[in-house]
Amino acid sequence: MSKINSAIYEIHHLEKLASRDQWVNQIHPLVKLCLTILYIAMVVSYSKYDLIGLAAMGVYLFISFQLAELSFKDALWRLRVVLPIVCAVGIVNPFFDRIPVEIGGLHLNAGVLSMLTLMMKGSFAVLASYILIATTTIESICYALRLLHVPTILVTQILLTYRYITLLLEEVNRITQAYALRAPNQKGVHFKVWGSLTGQLLLRSIDRANDVFESMTLRGYRGEFKYVGEKHRMRRTDLLYFAVWGLLFGLFRRIPVILVLGNLVGGIFA
Amino acid sequence: MSHIHIDVEHLSFGYEKGRRILDDVSFHAGEHDSVGLVGANGVGKSTLLKLMVGLHPGFEGAIRVEEIPLQKETLSQIREKIGYVFQDSDSQLFMSTAYEDIAFAPRNYGLPEKEVERRVNEALETVGISYLKDRHPYQMSGGEKKLVSIATILSMTPDIILMDEPSVALDPRNRRNLIRILNSFEHLKIIASHDLDMILDTCSRTILMAGGKIICDGPTEEILSDQKLLEENGLELPLCMQRRN
Amino acid sequence: MHMADALVAPAVAGTMYVCSAAAAGYSVKKVREENDAKKIPIMGVMGAFVFATQMINFTIPGTGSSGHLCGGMLLSALLGPYAGFLTMIGVLLIQCLLFADGGLLAFGCNVWNMAFYGCFIGALLIWKPMMKKGASRAKIILASILGCVLTLQMGAFSVTLETLASGITELPFGVFVSTMQPIHLAIGLVEGLITAAVLVFVYEARPELLFAAEGESSGAGRFSFKKTIAVLAVAAVLIGGGLSLFASSNPDGLEWSMERVAGSTELEAEGGIYEAAASAQEATSLLPDYAFKNSDSALGTTFSGIVGGLVVVLLCTCSCYAFRFFRKKKTA
Repeated sequence: MSKINSAIYEIHHLEKLASRDQWVNQIHPLVKLCLTILYIAMVVSYSKYDLIGLAAMGVYLFISFQLAELSFKDALWRLRVVLPIVCAVGIVNPFFDRIPVEIGGLHLNAGVLSMLTLMMKGSFAVLASYILIATTTIESICYALRLLHVPTILVTQILLTYRYITLLLEEVNRITQAYALRAPNQKGVHFKVWGSLTGQLLLRSIDRANDVFESMTLRGYRGEFKYVGEKHRMRRTDLLYFAVWGLLFGLFRRIPVILVLGNLVGGIFA
Repeated sequence: MSHIHIDVEHLSFGYEKGRRILDDVSFHAGEHDSVGLVGANGVGKSTLLKLMVGLHPGFEGAIRVEEIPLQKETLSQIREKIGYVFQDSDSQLFMSTAYEDIAFAPRNYGLPEKEVERRVNEALETVGISYLKDRHPYQMSGGEKKLVSIATILSMTPDIILMDEPSVALDPRNRRNLIRILNSFEHLKIIASHDLDMILDTCSRTILMAGGKIICDGPTEEILSDQKLLEENGLELPLCMQRRN
Repeated sequence: MHMADALVAPAVAGTMYVCSAAAAGYSVKKVREENDAKKIPIMGVMGAFVFATQMINFTIPGTGSSGHLCGGMLLSALLGPYAGFLTMIGVLLIQCLLFADGGLLAFGCNVWNMAFYGCFIGALLIWKPMMKKGASRAKIILASILGCVLTLQMGAFSVTLETLASGITELPFGVFVSTMQPIHLAIGLVEGLITAAVLVFVYEARPELLFAAEGESSGAGRFSFKKTIAVLAVAAVLIGGGLSLFASSNPDGLEWSMERVAGSTELEAEGGIYEAAASAQEATSLLPDYAFKNSDSALGTTFSGIVGGLVVVLLCTCSCYAFRFFRKKKTA
């Protein structure tokens, strides 16, 4: 089942990207997390016909991809999950919303415009999250969550899940490969072994959890994880980074920057 | 008698009533002892080790670590003195980096962060893996994980080390390295293993178990060269001795 | 069922964040009260288990397709609703971050749609009452299927409401609902069967692992089987009745759902085409002095749009090069 292999690869690949020594990677995780959410909220809040206005928000993606030296191709691959869903919801708009609009000399159906805008919103949101996860490790994100006063239980749980995901993915891979080798003409797992195959895995996982628990208690654990504070210090650059982008987002949201610039430059030549 | 020692007296234990996994086990081990615990699959080696750190309540008999009887109230005191290395390193390494894992125990025992850092670095150096400090567990080889696991218990500077199958899944070079590290630990250590050659290289004393009982307890050279005794109890001569014959 | 960011308006996303956070806060409190140190490692490893097993393809007999495991119901049957809910949050967050399954902004919605119903409704209203008088194979199968179907229906219904309340699609409410619900009915059945198979296996191998299966008496949530059926029936009638009502009579359910569900100002602005025209107007007239002289304004907009886009790209590229140039100088 190559789906699992590619999942494992993707996890390791992201981890590698996030632990690089890039300038963007060193920005405080809380800043990056908040900025990403702010960005997505801004993008989503555009009017559903405001395609050109929304396009200006691409500036953040463009610059961040350059700064973080990320491959755009890798990121586009991630759109495969989201775009179909967004399309499925947006695809009907052209049929229901048939009022013609004239945008830039083109006679469009308002539904087409809103569908395109929706797809752009979806892509922008995914790309922005990609920038976050490709420059910030899960541990750093969890650190940011702790700064936001997310309860320790939840943060610990996220970290532990993340720690054991690759191990269990590999185990699932082994078990399904062993299954496939003995059941050559089946696409998936036959319903007769649904319970036993997964159940075995479940029991083994619980045994592993017991081992983990034992190894924790032997090292003095009593129900509360102790984390060290102050792993990242908030620098002035971090705040500046947030402020600059925050202001730009606000500016883009208020003023249709592309049109204004176009008029300005176009006016000079005319 | 030196202060580091462990006493097991008439220890019996079973997960279910009526089925005993350990049956009247007694032994004493002192400061510089290195004890190999050998026996076929399922004779209760791991259970014995886990009992000694109080992971299974409800045993009969007595276990005393440095004259402290093992019971619910003394668990934390005893666990501070004993380091236990699990067979599966992935169960022992649950934090995101080697550093965090090694710092786990000292932090739980409330040491100040400066001291924690000193201990972590010391443990890393003892095992010779300072380069793994910020590495994630999945970026390590099986041998590296095992070494980090050992470092996670060394950071508490234990008096006693218990190990369950430490050499499983190690390549020859890592295994050699492990043996070197084990030999550099001078306090009391008890190692349960099927790798009799490793026991031969690391332990001066061997306890042979079968059917939940201690069959024989004596110098390693003597027990591990007794072909008849070993084969009667589901084992074979260590490979190096097979060649010798 | 993972919702993408583009499908929610900020107001809806925020509301759902608050709801999910409240449920999470309550769960954290409950798990702390249980004071079981062992819960945390088990939650962590089980989260990874659900994550991994959701990648297994289970062949559905008689069809060419395959189904997947339903995490929420399984987790709450093993860990109880509160720990199960927290575990699902972890799984969903990692799915969202690593695989872009569901968006960050829509995270609150996703937690609610997929974890809340599965854990709270599934475990508290279905699993626990049914296991009250001891578990059995039949009861486990029934509870799993009922739980998965019902919680998935509720989840799908919430997805519909959230999307419509966000004013994303032009699809009338009735049409949307009548596509979403039947699809998820089928999915729910399959997921229920798979979950049942796993739980039955666990029940036969290690029954002590199942939550509330030994008829332990804890004061809250004493439901009899009859009562459960009654609750389910009422819920079914309500949902079914609601659905048919809208599917048949209310072609303009969008307005209804917007007013009832969100009622926020965010949505009022997104009225329709007039607004689009207005915004286009606004865009062109914002700085009318710069508009293309003597041309009809539409052409001006196209031209401005293209030129403006190019200028922005150019500016970005320059700033990136400048940035890199200075970085190199600094490090050199």
